Amino acid sequence: MKTTKLASVVAVLAALFFTGTAFAQTDPGVRSNTGVNAGQPFASVTASPNDLAFFQTGFEQFNEHQTVTGDNPGLGPRFNLDSCGACHSQPALGGTSPASGIFPNVGPNPQSQVIANGVVNGSTNTIPYFVQANGPVREARFPFFFNQFGNPNPNAPNGGVEDLFTVSGRADAGACSLQQPGFNTARVTNNIIFRIPTPTFGAGLMANIDDATLLANHAAQAVFNRVGISGTFNHNGNDGTISRFGWKAQNKSLLTFAGEAYNVEMGISNELFTQDRPLPGEDQMGSGLPANCLNLAGVGYPEDITHSDGTSASTVTSDTALFSVFMQFLDQPTPSTTSPGGATSIANGRKLFSAIGCAICHTPSLTTQASQLTSGLSNATANLFSDIEIHHMGVGLADNVSQGGAGGDQFRTSPLWGLGQRIFFLHDGRTSNLLSAIEAHQSSGSEATLVEEVFDLLSPSQQQDLLNFLRSL
Amino acid sequence: MSRPVFFLLETMGLNMHPRFSRSLAFVCFSISLIAHAQSSPQSGGDFSNNPQPNALPSDVLLVKGAWSSASDLVTPVPEGGRVANNVFSNQYFGFTYTLSPDWTQKYVGPPPSDSGYYVLAQIRPAETSKGTSRGSILIAAQDLFFTLAPAGNALELINYNKESLDADYKVEQPPTLVRIANHSFVRFDYGSPVAELHWHVLATQIRCHMVQFVFTSRDTKLVESLIQEMSKMTLPAEAGPISGRGGGEVPVCIKEYARDENVLERVDPVFGERRFNPAPVRIIIDKQGKVKHIHFLSAFPDQVKAITDALFQWRFRPYLRDGKPVEVETGIMFGRAPRPATTPSTNAATE
Repeated sequence: MKTTKLASVVAVLAALFFTGTAFAQTDPGVRSNTGVNAGQPFASVTASPNDLAFFQTGFEQFNEHQTVTGDNPGLGPRFNLDSCGACHSQPALGGTSPASGIFPNVGPNPQSQVIANGVVNGSTNTIPYFVQANGPVREARFPFFFNQFGNPNPNAPNGGVEDLFTVSGRADAGACSLQQPGFNTARVTNNIIFRIPTPTFGAGLMANIDDATLLANHAAQAVFNRVGISGTFNHNGNDGTISRFGWKAQNKSLLTFAGEAYNVEMGISNELFTQDRPLPGEDQMGSGLPANCLNLAGVGYPEDITHSDGTSASTVTSDTALFSVFMQFLDQPTPSTTSPGGATSIANGRKLFSAIGCAICHTPSLTTQASQLTSGLSNATANLFSDIEIHHMGVGLADNVSQGGAGGDQFRTSPLWGLGQRIFFLHDGRTSNLLSAIEAHQSSGSEATLVEEVFDLLSPSQQQDLLNFLRSL
Repeated sequence: MSRPVFFLLETMGLNMHPRFSRSLAFVCFSISLIAHAQSSPQSGGDFSNNPQPNALPSDVLLVKGAWSSASDLVTPVPEGGRVANNVFSNQYFGFTYTLSPDWTQKYVGPPPSDSGYYVLAQIRPAETSKGTSRGSILIAAQDLFFTLAPAGNALELINYNKESLDADYKVEQPPTLVRIANHSFVRFDYGSPVAELHWHVLATQIRCHMVQFVFTSRDTKLVESLIQEMSKMTLPAEAGPISGRGGGEVPVCIKEYARDENVLERVDPVFGERRFNPAPVRIIIDKQGKVKHIHFLSAFPDQVKAITDALFQWRFRPYLRDGKPVEVETGIMFGRAPRPATTPSTNAATE
């Protein structure tokens, strides 16, 4: 009798356990069974020999490793890495941060390898504490300047990029001697935030959505705000139109985006940003960069220029413009209709995504305007899952960095296309777990708190469908 | 400021509005740092000789963009409501709402939007709740002076919401007038078959705002019980889907009162910086036609100063009701106005 009772109890517990396991929703992880779903040019680009050559030259330049002097000069004196493609590589060139061992195994975080690879001198540079082999590529910013005692001064907002590495000690850097920013001090004083690379697949489509389309979408969503959402746009200070690139939609165009990144992330002056860039504090102190750290390439400024002696579009065009060409010709990622979880689950997840309000901000698609660049950009359906608006995301995600019209807690709705093959989530790459990223949408001051709460009201199987849908993108 | 000091302030802030307590914490933090000599800002450095580094508080917003503010701290503002002793009260709208036992507000909402949308409170079961019912309550408001919808009152706005409803939702009860706590509300129920969720919306109008309660749950019985509990609410006399236009102890609210024929003296604000955001403003005009109070729904500090300096010089024709001057509240949009929605709503609710 006792044995029978015990067996019954065990059976019930086992049933409960396996039932719980079966319905416990989990992030399916990086989708690996459908091949790489991004990184290809538009078919219209492939069909045009001139456009394809332009794209391929951009591809090569995007992937090129820069040095201080030599054939690819201009690196530094401060930089985060020596190549666009090193950071924007997951799951293909143009993407976002890679990690070792995760499909398609682009490699370890390249910032963790800079000493081993000879990009920086290990006697003058250290790998910052927040750079790890299996962690995301990161740039760092100090929200506030420090006072003379090493304490952050909240009356002096900073927010500029603090480049991780210096060229000091490299054989091609001469006598330039610079210290890395005080990352450990910033850590102790809680005065440091991070950003990971934004993927650029489909970026040309985003650039080609007319302001009127965005404004109409905003008006349509704003009148049905049953779940606490509002949103607004960031604007370009030069012409007042809606800006759209970067974590806070602070950049107007891909050309600006490329020029700023070339200057800020790699230290290469160009026709858009014409000087070598000191750290924010170095400019604020009135010192700028020391003289022996200027013009290290020996070619004068700007270091990247349009080549008047070129013979084709590819050879005339500056690196910066080629980066822009590469990004604008990258087609949007191709979602899977069956993986993960099967077609039924994905289709159900997509409906749930809209039903609970995710799609209010993550607008599934917007239509582009006519384009002179290539027909693939013209009147196309951009399945970006973003309204390109900036939203208050609350104190849990706030980074206290203001950019353009975006305050310290406002972020552009992150486009979700290609999410199925991203490894790190949120602006600082704080998690690789999609469920955690969803949960991070709620905190005091966030417009998305209610939507996250409604997500919690779904059954585990419904939540799983929604996760499968997101990982199908 | 050290974390213990910040937490102390947060503890003190239990009886304050959360945003106010955070602001106070920020001011104290700033003062503590000003005590140190200010010097040229630096980007970091070693600072290894700093024996007592002052860490910034976590999970506190220190750098705001366009935000809400007011010309004085005494006059109630829509976003000034709070939950205390299990009651949500909002002095501006003049209503109270008693929360169900074991329900609470965990997170405060975002600031008002530049199209006049407010999240007044977000209520949900407490994490310590032993009950199995799950759902959420959103108390929100939409300023009818700045709504992007083609609607002039709460009833029209709910009707517009119904007309805008995506085909994936199912209307469970079209907009219908109901009585709650001796006041008229418009009720609109809809659901999502795929999500197996139900949304029950109850809205009324106060001071030219639609004030709405949105109940979300899988459990319609739970929602009905929550709606029944709304009978404990206290509301101002004016509350009603089309009637809430102020008056009595609060100013009369009139859309576009600041049009030319009512403005006797106008001084344009002088902006130092070119900005592109909408800056909606509500003002209260006193019986003499002077601006008594300015509420910025969303504006940058430099815009606030420029607009404040200008508006306090404006003079209005006093608004007369029954031949006597009364205070009037109206809205003015500075900066770039958002584009309104274009589809009109024509349906009317039924009693």
